[in-house]
Amino acid sequence: MILEPARKRRPPEDESFVGIRVGVLLVIACVLFGVIAFRLWYLQVLSGDSYTAVAANNRLREVRVEAPRGVIYDRNGKILVDNRAGLTVGILPMAMFSPKKQPEQFAEEIRRLSEVLEVPEADLLAAYEKAKKDPYVTYPIKEDVPRETVVAYLKEHSDQFPGVQVEKAFVRRYPNKSLATHVLGYVGEISQTELGQQEFATLKMGAHVGKDGVERTYDSYLRGTDGWKTVEVDAAGRPKRFLDDVAPTPGANLVLTIDADLQQASEDAILEGIKRAHEQGFVNASGGAVVALDPRNGEIRALASFPDYDPSLWVGGMSKQKFSELTAPESHQPLFNRALNGLYPAGSTFKPFVAAVALNAGLVTPETIYDCSGKFSVAQQTWRDWLKQGHGPGIDLLTAIKESCDVYFYNLGNLLYQQEGPVLQDGLRQFGFGQKTGIDLPGETDKTRVPDKYWKREQGKSAEDKLWKPGDEINLAIGQGDLLVTPLQLAVALSAIANGGTLWVPRLGLRITDASGNVVHQFEPEQRAQLGIDRQILELIEEGMVLVTSEVGGTARIAFEGFAIPVAGKTGTAEKRPEDDYALFIAYAPADPVKEPEIVVVAIIEQGGHGSSVAAPVVRRVLEAYFHTQSGGTQIIPATE
Amino acid sequence: MNAPIPILQQATERRQPLGFSLGRYLRSLDWILLGAVLALVTYGLFLLYSATHADTNISSPFYYVRSQAVGLVLGFVLLIIISLSDYRWVRRFRTYIYGANLLVLLLTLVIGSGSQEVGANRWIELPFFSLQTSELAKLLLVLSLAGVLSEGAELRHRFRFVLFTVIYVAMPSVLVFLQPDLGTALVFGAILITMLVIWGIRLPHLGILGAGTVIGAALLLRVFPALGLQVLKDYQLKRLTLFLNPDSDPTGFGYQLTQSKIAIGSGMFTGKGYLKGTQTHLNFLPAHHTDFIFAVLGEELGFLGAMLLLGLYLVVIWRCLRIARLSTDLYGRLIAAGVAGAILFQVFVNVGMTIGIMPVTGIPLPFVSFGSSALVVFLMAIGFLESIHVRSVAGQER
Repeated sequence: MILEPARKRRPPEDESFVGIRVGVLLVIACVLFGVIAFRLWYLQVLSGDSYTAVAANNRLREVRVEAPRGVIYDRNGKILVDNRAGLTVGILPMAMFSPKKQPEQFAEEIRRLSEVLEVPEADLLAAYEKAKKDPYVTYPIKEDVPRETVVAYLKEHSDQFPGVQVEKAFVRRYPNKSLATHVLGYVGEISQTELGQQEFATLKMGAHVGKDGVERTYDSYLRGTDGWKTVEVDAAGRPKRFLDDVAPTPGANLVLTIDADLQQASEDAILEGIKRAHEQGFVNASGGAVVALDPRNGEIRALASFPDYDPSLWVGGMSKQKFSELTAPESHQPLFNRALNGLYPAGSTFKPFVAAVALNAGLVTPETIYDCSGKFSVAQQTWRDWLKQGHGPGIDLLTAIKESCDVYFYNLGNLLYQQEGPVLQDGLRQFGFGQKTGIDLPGETDKTRVPDKYWKREQGKSAEDKLWKPGDEINLAIGQGDLLVTPLQLAVALSAIANGGTLWVPRLGLRITDASGNVVHQFEPEQRAQLGIDRQILELIEEGMVLVTSEVGGTARIAFEGFAIPVAGKTGTAEKRPEDDYALFIAYAPADPVKEPEIVVVAIIEQGGHGSSVAAPVVRRVLEAYFHTQSGGTQIIPATE
Repeated sequence: MNAPIPILQQATERRQPLGFSLGRYLRSLDWILLGAVLALVTYGLFLLYSATHADTNISSPFYYVRSQAVGLVLGFVLLIIISLSDYRWVRRFRTYIYGANLLVLLLTLVIGSGSQEVGANRWIELPFFSLQTSELAKLLLVLSLAGVLSEGAELRHRFRFVLFTVIYVAMPSVLVFLQPDLGTALVFGAILITMLVIWGIRLPHLGILGAGTVIGAALLLRVFPALGLQVLKDYQLKRLTLFLNPDSDPTGFGYQLTQSKIAIGSGMFTGKGYLKGTQTHLNFLPAHHTDFIFAVLGEELGFLGAMLLLGLYLVVIWRCLRIARLSTDLYGRLIAAGVAGAILFQVFVNVGMTIGIMPVTGIPLPFVSFGSSALVVFLMAIGFLESIHVRSVAGQER
């Protein structure tokens, strides 16, 4: 402990400059500190606001709480689609192994995940690439994962799956399996293209929207408004606390015009029709469609297409394997809605419409008669009647409809061809053929066709081909040739005959209700056009169609043997070479002068053979279900047409 | 209890020709320096508590604070003992000190324990204590280099002597660099330059050293890597240049830099409030108790809090340089200058790193960053400064 002062030595020569040297160092220190202070001023005071925003963005996550989608009911309040709680597995990229720094662990995690979730590794990697754009947000990779096996495994082995998270979510539930699957459509994750559309402007990545069917059409009602939670997370993405909360608003419910029982009956009837076709030797019969609608307002009571599929396959995204199974040729296109978009020649079911046009144009009267010898010739060409020996001499309009006499309509066709202008085509278009019906389903086809000389001129390949010839008009008059119609078009057109001339827009949406069942919005019937055809003409057509089902010689009399309610119907056996004939039947009931018709039914069995023996019983079955009458037995009905 | 300490009294009576007076000792202390250092370490403890109390991997919120406080107590005891002793007594052991320094650093390379960082051996495990030898090496270097320079006071005009001191410092630098601890090696350089300036290096010599430094840096950073010569490890090279463009590495060190800037910037003028820094407590800011503790300060206490800290450092550096001027002998002057240089360099490089104007070199903030070895060693250094101050003031009093 020496406190002896340092000896005063003679200062070395430079000692005098010590003050200056110390001063220089002090100045340097001040300058360096000044640089720091200046930089801090820039960071904290001048840019403080933007850094504050970045810091908030760092720690605050807005987690979307998906609103449960509205329930879809049939017109009687039966549930067609509702929701159930499901578990979704998602990935949080920033919490996962880094593919750059830990490539082996990353690959191993993806491999294990692929195994556990049964999702191909390529899909997971693709999802990771998408998810990486916002590494702090959980990105769903598989929805509706079974709790017992997969989720339990993931939770138990959570150390092997960093960044893999399980969240609760609502998924669609279909209590009636495949019932009305083509009407309902399905729900899926919003796509990049959809995100850019005005309709989905408020939605974010990962949201679910209707992809097809009424789910798509009425998406804005069904969807509801998503809520959100503000979560404070740490650097590893672990939630620390909830700061803010906005509850989701569930979607509104949709009530359809569909009657679930009638829909079921229609689907059953198609199956029976196919079975009957097989029994009659038409073994290629594999698909069909039924449309039932109310001619008083355009409400669709049933819209069935076969083959169908289980819509719950779409829940959580359809697997590639399932999808390729469904689209394989041997599956006969179950995803395709034949009632809406199946393109067929109308065959003889077209005759009532052709007759109405010809009567309206004043080309024939009910008294006009033609002789039917079984064939018809014009311009060195001959057409045969379906009945080889012919329907006999003196066939009038009613008989021609009743017996489906082709020769009568060949004559009409020839007559129509000689008119100036497209009288037939214009008349048919008034019935809505060749145009969209405007139904509230997405993706209605625009490929239907009422052929005319303009179409031929455009379409024909050779000069000969470009000419509209008598044969074209004659074929059109019996619903063949280049005509293409959909079952829905036939139903809408027939409704106009049934209701005295009003062309309705067919409709599936009846009303929107809130959670307590209050009506939020009622959809009103929409008139598309008035036929402008004299009511008496339509009544005459109805008279002929009633004969079809009621009088001896009527092509569907046997099929409707014992049916208590008068039915106006028309059979059709459409040729579509090289395939077997397509069986069609169109009808409405009650067809009685006092009562208003309530229901129009159109049925088609692809390659089913005869309209009278295959399609007519299908319609009868649907009408029975509608009127709750007893079945008239299951006798085999001999082919008459 | 309040009576004068008998042992000290006896000692003064028996051995001190001038007599030891506690009063005079206390009067001769640089209270401003001591006060500023005390304020810094207290400030540091509060920051350390804020930075670490919410960490999940520790048993108690005071885990780090307690450990640091132990170092603080030990450091202050050593500070007092050293300030009571005569620093000049050390000078004659300069060669042993230098040798011991090299030996300890060599030992660290051989038996030292590592950290999480890639293959770095920085600690020697002692009972109750693990010593970060590079921190001790700073003080040992100052003490031995001051001896060499004061002996060579007459050789100021000889560049060969200057070159000798460069090599003298280079030897421990290389050993530290091999740990690898680039930061401390650079601090050695800063110590040398500061001491040479105070020593009275000729301006042309200083110019040559400056040019040599620039060429050396260019060789290390550009030429050697281009020739495939691995002097600096890849990660070191990357860290050194990263601050120019932190977005180029958004997950590694670039992430640290970006998060540090966000933390400091979002503190704004008055800060988010003590213990309320979100960047820190949600772990966005890595190494928030060691190299990046300044970012905790910037976030929670804002521009004002940062200015307060920088003000305290400026006071400390000013007092150190003042002691260098006051010192009656060259040895004390050089020690003071070396300490001042080390503190200035470390503060500037560390704070500069957190605000994105200096490279990431792993240099801690003196008196504040967590680390008992550094704290104890810096407090010992202050002890030497007080010793110098006491003796120069005592000399003037007579």
